[in-house]
Amino acid sequence: MKRVLALVLAGGRVDELSVLTLSRPKSALPFGGMYRVIDFCLSNLMHSGVENVGILSQYRSFSLINHVGIGSWWDFVGRDRGATLLLPSQHHKGSDWYNGTADAVFQNLEFIHEQHPETVLILSGDHVYKMNYLPMLDYHRKKDADLTICFASIDAKQGQRFGVAEIDDEDGATGGRMVDYLEKPARSSHRWASLTIFLFKPDVLYKVLTERSLGGGTREFGRDVLPAMLGKYKIYGYKFDGYWGYTRTLDEYWQTNMDLLGEEPKIPLQEWQVRTNLDHDRLRDRPPAKIGGNARIANSCFYNGCEIEGEVQNSILFPGVKVRKGASVRDSILFFDTVIEEGVSIDRTIADFDVRVENGVQVGVGDSVANREYPNLLHSGLTLIGKGAQLPAGLELGKNCIVAPELKATHFERNHYESGTTIT
Amino acid sequence: MNPTLVMLLAGGVGSRLNIMGAHRAKPAVPFGGVYRIIDFTLSNAMNSGLTTIGVLTQYKPLSLMDHIGTGEPWDFIGRTRGAKILPPRTGQMDSDWYKGTADAMRQNIDFIESNAPERVLILSGDHIYRMDYAALIAFHTEKRADVSIGMMTVPWEETQHFGIGITDEKQRIVDWEEKPEKARNNLASMGIYVFNTDYLLQALRSQKEHDFGMHIIPAALKNDRVYAYPFKGYWRDVGTLKAYWEANMDLLDESSGLNLDAWRLRTNVEEEGLLGDRKPAIVTPAGTVKNSVISPGCVIKGHVENSILSPGVVVEASATVTASVVMHDAIIGAGSRVDQCILDKLVQVGADAQLGVGSADLPNRDKPKHLSSGLVVAGKGALIPTGHKIGRNTILYPWLKAEDYPKSDIPPGETIRKSGSDY
Repeated sequence: MKRVLALVLAGGRVDELSVLTLSRPKSALPFGGMYRVIDFCLSNLMHSGVENVGILSQYRSFSLINHVGIGSWWDFVGRDRGATLLLPSQHHKGSDWYNGTADAVFQNLEFIHEQHPETVLILSGDHVYKMNYLPMLDYHRKKDADLTICFASIDAKQGQRFGVAEIDDEDGATGGRMVDYLEKPARSSHRWASLTIFLFKPDVLYKVLTERSLGGGTREFGRDVLPAMLGKYKIYGYKFDGYWGYTRTLDEYWQTNMDLLGEEPKIPLQEWQVRTNLDHDRLRDRPPAKIGGNARIANSCFYNGCEIEGEVQNSILFPGVKVRKGASVRDSILFFDTVIEEGVSIDRTIADFDVRVENGVQVGVGDSVANREYPNLLHSGLTLIGKGAQLPAGLELGKNCIVAPELKATHFERNHYESGTTIT
Repeated sequence: MNPTLVMLLAGGVGSRLNIMGAHRAKPAVPFGGVYRIIDFTLSNAMNSGLTTIGVLTQYKPLSLMDHIGTGEPWDFIGRTRGAKILPPRTGQMDSDWYKGTADAMRQNIDFIESNAPERVLILSGDHIYRMDYAALIAFHTEKRADVSIGMMTVPWEETQHFGIGITDEKQRIVDWEEKPEKARNNLASMGIYVFNTDYLLQALRSQKEHDFGMHIIPAALKNDRVYAYPFKGYWRDVGTLKAYWEANMDLLDESSGLNLDAWRLRTNVEEEGLLGDRKPAIVTPAGTVKNSVISPGCVIKGHVENSILSPGVVVEASATVTASVVMHDAIIGAGSRVDQCILDKLVQVGADAQLGVGSADLPNRDKPKHLSSGLVVAGKGALIPTGHKIGRNTILYPWLKAEDYPKSDIPPGETIRKSGSDY
């Protein structure tokens, strides 16, 4: 499949994810107990036999560079295979940050040319889903389309959060011609939401991006490129009806993680065969999880390096998380090497790497008052604890709170913070 | 030039491990969820800063060769690093199988010379322990020894299984008893030798004997400097089913001294088991786990206690697994009971089956020396049909099918073979 070049849009930082994306792009966000979000898309590419991948990134790329490496964990290493990180660079006319998704691809047209692809697959690196891209590629070829876009059906009322389209009935459940497209419309009757998976004929891609580059400001595929192509090019919609997990907001991110749990998880990870970089964060160097004699674990997942002596319910534990005796963790997501000491009780909390929660701390208590500074981000009762923060013994923290990264125990002036507080 | 070359003897036939060792060499037997026994020696070598290793294989080497691969998991890759598999070769004789430890070295003299090390560290891949070989090498240098042997104090009743050294106050070995009936000392050889290369090559060339413990070492005592390096700490020869099971259980006991994380134990995650494709372990709303080691890919819908689960084990609803070692991708059927078992890879326990019932007093009738402690052992891929009861000290051969069972209630001490096969 070397004639398909995949470009993964992995650069975005989204303010909606608050402290979780202070030090990493959204695509490098830990997910599901051992993965990074981008693993889903890279594994899909691997299983689809797409062997040539460019990854476009510019926001705090370090953790992404570390994670992707040379792509060997997804089998992208070989004579005709490769994974290349495409970071913004200097040009003879100056240097340019990527100014939107379409601009990022535009700035790498030279790279794309050199690969001589027959088809360019552009996709977003921050979705959680399983898809074989080959049937969509077949459809794209069969239709001799200039552009084929993947869509999922939605309730028309949700349209303002998506790029939405109308697709005719040319090929029934498979897809049809895209007859209209609107980016995040306030109101519309369109029932098909774009999943940001595009198959372009390379010539068409070059042409539309070069035309678009003449204007100023940011250039996005959904907002700028697609509407301008409507009516001028042969655009098809390909219909996808599998599971689709978003990670754009904290609530979405939390819910998508929770979809891994339950008697019949919505995300059947075993079938998806998602791969990750086992060298990153010492994943492969850790011994299997140790469960203590008094542990109580229900409806939760965990990986190598975990030590669980307390109670864990409806939670996702990343490698190296320790839950000590008498501690209780419910409805929470704990990133790598976070330690929950004895007698702690935490509810609906997302704790980043290396957080230390000392004896007897309570997190997620009291009324659900929205976060005072970021009411739109944090209002459903989740509390966020930034990377490396230390919560001192006996601390009580309400719901919808944010603890800034690297806060030391001595930073806390009080031992009770009510719901909605941001501690920096 | 490389100061120390490691030669790892990994040929061992684990015959007393019975069906666990039937299709793999003893060093390749899985241990502790995600590891194999040889990982302890390989990780010790890595953690001691050793970078070049030859692995001598002989018996059923395939899973071992897969496992070692390029040696990358133990950092044996690089300009001056390397891991080489050294199988027996056709030499002057038609087929020169390794006839003993010294013979195995003799057949690889060319490999040793091509590496031109100052000294050769000879290890075996059969044991569970952590040792800093750098300290042994420093001891060897300090004593200006020709040979140094890693030795430890063992209970007197076990001395008959070991080479026993009698030392002077400076740890020089002055006398040697190989597997004595009545020992004069309880300082036992761990099969770990450091030889100065020149001395080793001269000894191998000037003698025709095949074994270090039986011949080469006793003969060296009179004229040469042979020293005993004292080792203290956790060390287990998991050569029997009972010892293998107990060492696995030691992982659940903090006071046992077996601590994989602290030992920086490493394994190859990309071989057969493909840990790389394994998801996190999951416990469903109805599942429970206590005092156990759980590997990635496990799905626990039933109850697990005091057990070691390798990757991909599925414990179905209301099944109970207690005091057992369960290897990769075994399936424990709904409502079944598994107690004190060693289940090899891909074993399938049918719904409502019971393994480990009745008295442990009757040893296995065919192999009483292999199995008398009450364990049930099921070989790779064996099926235990729905509702069957299996008594203790029973051996179930690999790849058993339902039709291989003479009845559904197997009393203690039985051995069930595949009909028409003498595996």
